[in-house]
Amino acid sequence: MIKNSIYFIFIFLLFFDTARAQQQNTINGFIRDAKTGEDLVGATVSIKELSGKGAATNAYGFYSLTLPAGTYELSAQYTGYKPHVEIVKLDQSLKLNFSLQEQAAELDEVVITSTRKDENVTKTQMGLQKFDPKEIKSIPVLFGEKDVLKTIQLLPGIKSAGEGSSGFNVRGGASDQNLILLDEATVYNASHLMGFFSVFNSDAIKDIAVYKGNEPAEYGGRLSSVLDVKMNDGNDKKFGVNGGIGLISSRLTIEGPIIKDRGSFIISARRTYADMFLKLSMDTTLNQAKLYFYDLNAKVNYRINDKNRIFISGYFGKDVLGLGNTFGINWGNGTGTLRWNHLFSDRLFSNTSLIFSNYDYKINVNMGSEMNIISRIQDYALKQDFQLYARSNSTLKFGFTSVYHKIIPGAITASENTSMKSLTNKYAWENSFYISHQYSLSNKISFDYGLRLSIFSLLGPGSFYSYNTEGNTTDTAKYSSGQFVKTYTNIEPRATFNYVINPQSSVKASYARNVQNLHLLSNSTSGNPTDLWIPSSNNVKPEIADQVSLGYYRNFLDNKYEFSIEAYYKDFQNQIDYKNGAELNFNDNVESQILFGDGRAYGLELFLKKKYGRFNGWISYTLSRTERKFNEINNGNYFPAKQDRTHDISIVGIYELSKRWTLSATWVYNTGNAVTFPTGKYEIDGKTMFYYSDRNANRMPAYHRLDIGATWIKKKTDKFESDWTFSLYNAYGHDNPYSITFRDSESDPTKTEAVQTTLFKFVPSFTYNFKF
Amino acid sequence: MKKYRIIIFIAIILSICFSSCQKVIDLELNTSSSQIVIQGNIYDQTGPYTVKISKSVNFDESNVYPAVIGAMVVISDNAGNSDTLTETSSGIYTTSVLQGVPGRTYTLTVKTDGQTYTASATLPDAVEINSIYMEKSRFGNDEQVTIDFTDPANVDNYYRLIEFINNIQQDQFYATSDKLYEGEKISYSFMSQDSDSKLETGDKVTIWLECVDKFVYEYFRTAGSEGGQSASPANPTSNISNGALGYFNACSVRAISIIAK
Repeated sequence: MIKNSIYFIFIFLLFFDTARAQQQNTINGFIRDAKTGEDLVGATVSIKELSGKGAATNAYGFYSLTLPAGTYELSAQYTGYKPHVEIVKLDQSLKLNFSLQEQAAELDEVVITSTRKDENVTKTQMGLQKFDPKEIKSIPVLFGEKDVLKTIQLLPGIKSAGEGSSGFNVRGGASDQNLILLDEATVYNASHLMGFFSVFNSDAIKDIAVYKGNEPAEYGGRLSSVLDVKMNDGNDKKFGVNGGIGLISSRLTIEGPIIKDRGSFIISARRTYADMFLKLSMDTTLNQAKLYFYDLNAKVNYRINDKNRIFISGYFGKDVLGLGNTFGINWGNGTGTLRWNHLFSDRLFSNTSLIFSNYDYKINVNMGSEMNIISRIQDYALKQDFQLYARSNSTLKFGFTSVYHKIIPGAITASENTSMKSLTNKYAWENSFYISHQYSLSNKISFDYGLRLSIFSLLGPGSFYSYNTEGNTTDTAKYSSGQFVKTYTNIEPRATFNYVINPQSSVKASYARNVQNLHLLSNSTSGNPTDLWIPSSNNVKPEIADQVSLGYYRNFLDNKYEFSIEAYYKDFQNQIDYKNGAELNFNDNVESQILFGDGRAYGLELFLKKKYGRFNGWISYTLSRTERKFNEINNGNYFPAKQDRTHDISIVGIYELSKRWTLSATWVYNTGNAVTFPTGKYEIDGKTMFYYSDRNANRMPAYHRLDIGATWIKKKTDKFESDWTFSLYNAYGHDNPYSITFRDSESDPTKTEAVQTTLFKFVPSFTYNFKF
Repeated sequence: MKKYRIIIFIAIILSICFSSCQKVIDLELNTSSSQIVIQGNIYDQTGPYTVKISKSVNFDESNVYPAVIGAMVVISDNAGNSDTLTETSSGIYTTSVLQGVPGRTYTLTVKTDGQTYTASATLPDAVEINSIYMEKSRFGNDEQVTIDFTDPANVDNYYRLIEFINNIQQDQFYATSDKLYEGEKISYSFMSQDSDSKLETGDKVTIWLECVDKFVYEYFRTAGSEGGQSASPANPTSNISNGALGYFNACSVRAISIIAK
């Protein structure tokens, strides 16, 4: 019933729209950075004569506006850039490209005005956080490597899974419930060195958007969030080099035109050398150790003509950990995207992408005889997106994605004969179709609503098992290559509604359903590179989440301050947990080790940001609860999920002391993760055993930390810029627990004791950055 | 094939590299009611065999576990034999006539405080140890003890291994199966866990190789992987009914010793 009425409204609005779209002219084009030629994503064009109407550029810097004939004053705007005004006489359809000049960093007064500063109020989308990597340059981070993934964790509703942990949690979601996209390709493991760095090299990144569960229908496949990262296209005006030399890592970026104003390239690389210090160690185990990562981003693009443009982009990264020649493990992602932008008409924009993604790890053991274990997940995808700019108040987006997943859970190669058998490979085909409509009914009311249809099929070949509750195989079905083993079809409705109360404030409401068909099995506290992805199957049902949220947005003092409060409630189905003592490593029957249950999460997110001025920054606070329910755990009662955090606070402050010095600080505080501590002890064969009762009934101590940073601009001319950044992580040296373990007391063997491990206290770093 | 533990290794490397520090902390822990703990072994060697019954205590108490006295303990087998155990010292119950025979299934019944606990275990055929030797550890410079044995083909085997140093049982649980090594020669190494268990010249190291049934293997596998980095530590999966902690094991056992040089 609800479904039918959604269809009805949808069709009605479309007709309504086209019926009125008579005798209109279209103006379209691109908005770019005047200096580098980079497309500006999410830049706006507003019309002086028609307040409230306008357009925003898409992911490729393209906008299209359809208006009645007339003369208009158009203004193109983008945060941090000087607005550009054009007066156009629109008596026929025309093309108009804007080149915006970056705002020089003026110290004395706030000059960054007349951009759409009230975007958070007027834009329909909610639960969205966006920023430009340039904004985060001065935020202090561990080892001085500015990191977008760390910075988003300072925003409300997005929480770090903990120090030394690769994941992050969005609104009660698990860390595998985040869709991480790099130029549309899925990144299956976004961390380097167990999460101390992310795979995103800030120098290579143009734009980041995080959707906290109410993403538009064009995204799908994960329950809790989408992190959409876009790489820089490269400067198409002139060659440039920038880089940084730091204590444990260095980076270098080269970019330039292939053909001036038509095509450009960018190559960006990083390498850490933490293990150089290990070589100095006297310990013979340690000085043989290998520990580093490197990564490479590359992209080229070429504008064939006004209507066609091609992009090729790729990422490759590898982490290496090893001990002499005895043991080694390496892991990493590789992605590749080939894109073709095409304008079918001045109102119909199309993008076609061929996408490849690979994540693998390889373990090498050499103890007399050599053995390798390789595990891999690969995606081959075709994605087609259309954007139809029907009218200035109506945009239709539709398209499809078809992905072929290939999962190699564990393949063994050995120099000697071994009876260890490789695990069965898994194949799946995931198709999704979407349509969504952005529509402004009036200056005050706007909608963004749509539907996504996802069809996930598990394919043969292979043997597929059924299990009883004890985890024993009850039935085996054999399928040949390409046969459909199991297909799940789901409809995911999404809708957001915005009501602008006045130019300073608005309320928004949204509902979204998300479905997830790939699941990460991980039963360690921190997440390991060897955690295994499994597809939905005859035993594993798709995970489903429904989220409703409501928000109030208010800007103060000429939009200098931005405030928002959002509340959400989320219901989870078919969540995954593990049987006691589950064997997840190298097990062909891993699906027999899993438990299925439900969950719920709700919370309140407050955000106050000072956007401009010598002093800027934000305060974010989240009050939330996240619970899970499994028949087999805690007698079927709700229990707190590991990532349940009652309070989570982040404060970020950046102060421009002088033209040369910028100071910054961040402070974070959060309730400790929910954990299971022993409630008793007993003895087996002389060993003290700990007795556990309720799951996650305890808390880690609260986590808090202050980081401080400073940037000193050494030289800044048009030809050459250089600066030094200094940071001190955990500046007051708080002992934040990484883990708490229990053992017989070392001082008094008749007792037991709890031992806390702390990772980082006072980590200083400095980096020299240059650009020419 | 050798056993290796990737995750532990990664954790060790990382914890060393990032200058972690450890300290003992005071922690308010929840308490629980006292739980019954049963531990019994039947071997393919001449008896008597014992069953130990005790209770759990709260975390902040001393490591003294109250014995359960006056329980009614019976072990029977599927060949029609039954033995009522006598309490030879407090909490220790001993058989008088029962004999462990491969292929037989043994059933333990414990009655105490109005509750009944039962468990069954099948005694598998023995697997002989081929050799024991010392070799340099691949991780670091310590000497480690390794035993070789040949897994019988075409039958699922589960093993529990116990290490004794100078006749003192080491408190680490080792369990393995032939799932990945069906019919292969298996080399099993015992890495020293900490400085206390480092071998010195003249130390006598004895290894027991127990062939156990699947459920006993599950107990020791889960007991051995408990705690540490697990996101959800839990009690080992016991083969005893009614929520008792511990295990009831019927196994064939072979032992071998070496003097450390």
